[in-house]
Amino acid sequence: MFLFTFYRIIKFALQGFWRNFWLSVVTITVIVLSVVSMNFLIIINRVTESAAEVIKERIDVSIYFKNTIEEEDVLRAKNYIDSLSQVRSVEYVSKEDALDNFKNIHKNDVKILEALDELEINPFAATLVVKANDIGDYEKILEYINTSEHGENILDKNFGTQRENIEKIQNISANVMRFGVVVSVIFIIIAILIVFNTIKLAIYAQREEIGVMKLVGASNTFISMPYLVEGVLYALFGCIIAFLLLIPLINFLQSYITNFFAGDVVNIRGYFHENIVFIFGSQLGAIIVLNIIASGIAVRRYLKV
Amino acid sequence: MITIKNLTKKYHPGVFALQKVSMKIEAGEFVSLVGVSGAGKTTLIKILIAAERADEGRIVLGGWDITTIRKSEIPYLRRQIGVVFQDFKLLEKKTVFENIAFAMQVCGASPNRIKKLVPEIIEIVNLKDRMKSYPSQLSGGEKQRVAIARALVHGPKILVADEPTGNLDVNNSKEILDLFLNINKIGITVLLVTHNKDLVDSVKKRVVVLENGRVIFDKDKAKYVL
Repeated sequence: MFLFTFYRIIKFALQGFWRNFWLSVVTITVIVLSVVSMNFLIIINRVTESAAEVIKERIDVSIYFKNTIEEEDVLRAKNYIDSLSQVRSVEYVSKEDALDNFKNIHKNDVKILEALDELEINPFAATLVVKANDIGDYEKILEYINTSEHGENILDKNFGTQRENIEKIQNISANVMRFGVVVSVIFIIIAILIVFNTIKLAIYAQREEIGVMKLVGASNTFISMPYLVEGVLYALFGCIIAFLLLIPLINFLQSYITNFFAGDVVNIRGYFHENIVFIFGSQLGAIIVLNIIASGIAVRRYLKV
Repeated sequence: MITIKNLTKKYHPGVFALQKVSMKIEAGEFVSLVGVSGAGKTTLIKILIAAERADEGRIVLGGWDITTIRKSEIPYLRRQIGVVFQDFKLLEKKTVFENIAFAMQVCGASPNRIKKLVPEIIEIVNLKDRMKSYPSQLSGGEKQRVAIARALVHGPKILVADEPTGNLDVNNSKEILDLFLNINKIGITVLLVTHNKDLVDSVKKRVVVLENGRVIFDKDKAKYVL
């Protein structure tokens, strides 16, 4: 008996689904938009996180020493900086190396090289290139160096533009995420309202059958279940279609992102591939629960079982 | 079998649909419930099938107090009471067979049981050759017979007919009444709610008259009194 009942509940749900075909299409479309926008948020989050990581990896501070400072003092400063717990690495670039690097960069620019030769002295200062463990540590490291005995030997420090870049990326990311969350929430609210209305209309369209069912003694569960199953069907079709659309979208975005970052640094395809069960499962679960709640409210309100 | 005791129902303060209605209907009885519009007949039927709740009093059906019935028990009560209405309440997009089968399907009957039982019931109501017809292709009398067949599929102990001949001509009304009498002969209690004086008089069974929500007449082998 349970199997027959189960089969008939599914059958009635499918009948309801087909009977209001265009309404079902609209409902599913809105669910698709909600799921796609949610996954777009995940993509944006992955891209900005990875981009920030890449830039953080490249960030460093160059400390330029005065030209009069001896190499020995610079190396003592290097040892001091190296001993700080916030420092990951310190690289020493001697005056000669700095000059060689400059010449190497401008090897095709004869005028610059001639001007350099006319100077007769090496204008470059010894430099320490410092990398911190965390981006927030740079301020502290610079503060330690300034207040130490080496502070007065320092000519200049270049820290700022890269930090601004990271802050910009993080700001843009936060803004896009905020916008994305608002869009997703709007889509989800619209989806819930549409599911609620679709079920309400389905109940209205089937009021005669419902009346007969009540009259002949169909159980309340049997009468209401097809509408809840209909809500689940919308969630199921919506999520499946959304993920089928997301596959080419992710592939397209991946090739674009790979070109943009000149390498396979941001791997959203790999991320989705690795977490597909969790991402699909959790989103499907959430949409099913929301649809059951929306259908349940419509059933309680309009079915009066 | 049905014990009604001091049943009271009011829709608005001071406006009583039923006032302290009491009666006892034995198993296998045929009772005609008559009265003018607004006398409280339909309210009594609604309370009997738990479509409405009484304000006071009790209806006990085979030891089952309907006035305190739980929501989840209502479907099981309705399988014990077959109900037919003046407007038949048939599904226009289903054939005669499908209309009757639908009542069994929604209560969990197996396909084999449906296949076996539905033609038997259709034969009882004499509609064998109209099995594949749609309600729009049937006469009023035939539609009411389909409704009666549907009311019988669960093997109810009671058949309640609320103005079953209201939309039928004399001949069809007579046919439907004969069907009710035959159903009563096989032991099913029949409660016939009607305005039709000729019908009640021709039955010569128990008549209960309601007026302003009260029982003003209750006599066996009686005629329509108003």
